[in-house]
Amino acid sequence: MRNSGIIIGSIMLAIIVLVALFGPALVNQLIFPGERPGMRGSYRPYQLDSAQHPIGTDGDGRDGLMVFVSSIGPSLQIGVIAGATSTFLGVVIGFLAGYARGRLDTLSRILIDMVLVIPTLPLLLMLAAYIERWDLYKLALILGVFGWSFVARVIRPQVQSLRERSYVDLAVLSGENPLEIIFLELLPPLLPYIGYVFSLSIVGSMLAEAGLQIIGLGAGGLPTLGFMIAKGFRESVIAIGLVGQMLLPAGALIYVFLALNLINTGLDEVFNPRLKTTVEGK
Amino acid sequence: MATDSATRAIKTDENRDAAGRREIYLYALRRFGVYLFTLWAAITVAFFIFRLVPGDPMNILLGNLTRAEGRQRDKAAEEAIIAQYRQIFGMDDPLPIQYLNYLRKAVLGGLDLGPSFVEYPAQTKDLVFRRMPWTIGIFTTSVLLAWIAGTGLGALIGWLQRSRLSRLAVVLSTLLQITPVYLVALALIIYVGYSWRLLPAGGPYARHLQPAWTWEFISSLLTHAILPMLSNIIVIGAGFTLGMRALMISVLGEDYLTFARAKGLSPFTVLKDYAFRNALIPQVTALAIIVGATLNGTFIIEVLFQLPGLGTLFVQAMGLRDFNTMQAVVLFSIFAVLTLTLIVDLALPLLDPRVRRTA
Repeated sequence: MRNSGIIIGSIMLAIIVLVALFGPALVNQLIFPGERPGMRGSYRPYQLDSAQHPIGTDGDGRDGLMVFVSSIGPSLQIGVIAGATSTFLGVVIGFLAGYARGRLDTLSRILIDMVLVIPTLPLLLMLAAYIERWDLYKLALILGVFGWSFVARVIRPQVQSLRERSYVDLAVLSGENPLEIIFLELLPPLLPYIGYVFSLSIVGSMLAEAGLQIIGLGAGGLPTLGFMIAKGFRESVIAIGLVGQMLLPAGALIYVFLALNLINTGLDEVFNPRLKTTVEGK
Repeated sequence: MATDSATRAIKTDENRDAAGRREIYLYALRRFGVYLFTLWAAITVAFFIFRLVPGDPMNILLGNLTRAEGRQRDKAAEEAIIAQYRQIFGMDDPLPIQYLNYLRKAVLGGLDLGPSFVEYPAQTKDLVFRRMPWTIGIFTTSVLLAWIAGTGLGALIGWLQRSRLSRLAVVLSTLLQITPVYLVALALIIYVGYSWRLLPAGGPYARHLQPAWTWEFISSLLTHAILPMLSNIIVIGAGFTLGMRALMISVLGEDYLTFARAKGLSPFTVLKDYAFRNALIPQVTALAIIVGATLNGTFIIEVLFQLPGLGTLFVQAMGLRDFNTMQAVVLFSIFAVLTLTLIVDLALPLLDPRVRRTA
């Protein structure tokens, strides 16, 4: 796997995961020893950037940098949980649909195409209206449940094309049962592709989560990057001069998307080597 | 003998044409059937999801109202009000009956989706129709502009694949494509709208104007529409650019292009008639796929730019827990997405003779 995209993307991702894991503790120790910068009312609100507060303080009297650093973790968590949920559901359904033949196949295709075109945001919003208490896992699971159709849509044709290969016929003839065929013959060659789809699903979920926050309907109070952006916009922090409190979380989101995009393109090339030759070779 | 085989050849040719035409009709018919079925299924799913989720909308609504007025909750009075409302909205019937009523009203009653809870007795249908032009206008215009710009740019970049300029364009559009549309919108609002004050970034038109067919009003409308549409165009256009570039590059590798060049056709003719046309077909399919996601983005853009479209209506209804209105918006957006996808899918055979034959 000598693919520069995957390597650079993974390094970028590793860095932000490290920041998410150790950042809050480090910022607390290094910049604010003995204080509680993440607590409401610790400082005077809306202080401008200074040596003490590199990107100022927010409207609740917390240190902006601390808020930013501790928002990264929940955002990533939502992305990974939701992405894993939709990938899992989508792979299961995609495999069933791809492996089935005849009428079941047609039916599953229609079903997947149907769910695929339903605009998810209004449905998500409507669900959000019913749920009184949000937590991170609830939000992530709901986002995940809404994302499976895309995964199933792209996995199904891959399974269908693999199913027709002669080595699968050989496995059928040598008496493997359908489960063995799926797990031993069809799944392994699709793993890079599933990785690619997983990465895309993470992007989709993080995108949706931040979008919900920005129109003010997400899980209010969940400290994510999207929430920080939304709060900054509502309190017009840019007009106050606290540019960093908008640019940092927005930049972090774009950074994560870029890292995942590099990994995506890389995995896609690994799975589908022809992409690379047509792009670079001619 | 010779003439006989010739007429037979013509006959079979005619037959094949007739068969081809019949196949197009069959394809259109089947596609339309799938469309109706999908629509029905989506409506059904929407109905049941929102009735099976725990939490009684009436209860939430009343709780909110009493809390808003700062009164103590009077249990007995509240229950009487709820009973009254439930009767008006037909919520006491068993679920299957409610479902049938709902379908009957939606289909036979001319899209009657019930009155709005909050703006009772205003019909949700009217609320939705009043807002719909904004959403559809911004959505279709920006998607079409983005598609045209992206396809043109992508074809150009794909054609000039080795040059430094096209590499730069690829990096730039990759960056723009991964940026969420609402971040682009926020950046435009903050910088173009407020910091530099170049263009208006809030509301549908200047506040002192009334809707009228005057030049002042129309120009105000148009300048207010630039930034919301631009946010959509930048992000979607970047996606189309990259997609078209990839398609172009893979088409450029085909032997028939080399052959066309060897025949002595000019590079421009080859680009226009051989490469571009063949790369265009998957690009139209991409248009159908992007419709749903873009509608999501447009809803958010409306809210950020304070435009009176469906997205804003939804957010307002949600703040007031007006479930009938919310449901109507959901159904109309599903309807819009499905219909737009259907149009693209039906237009596809006109572009691609292969779909026509094999569909």
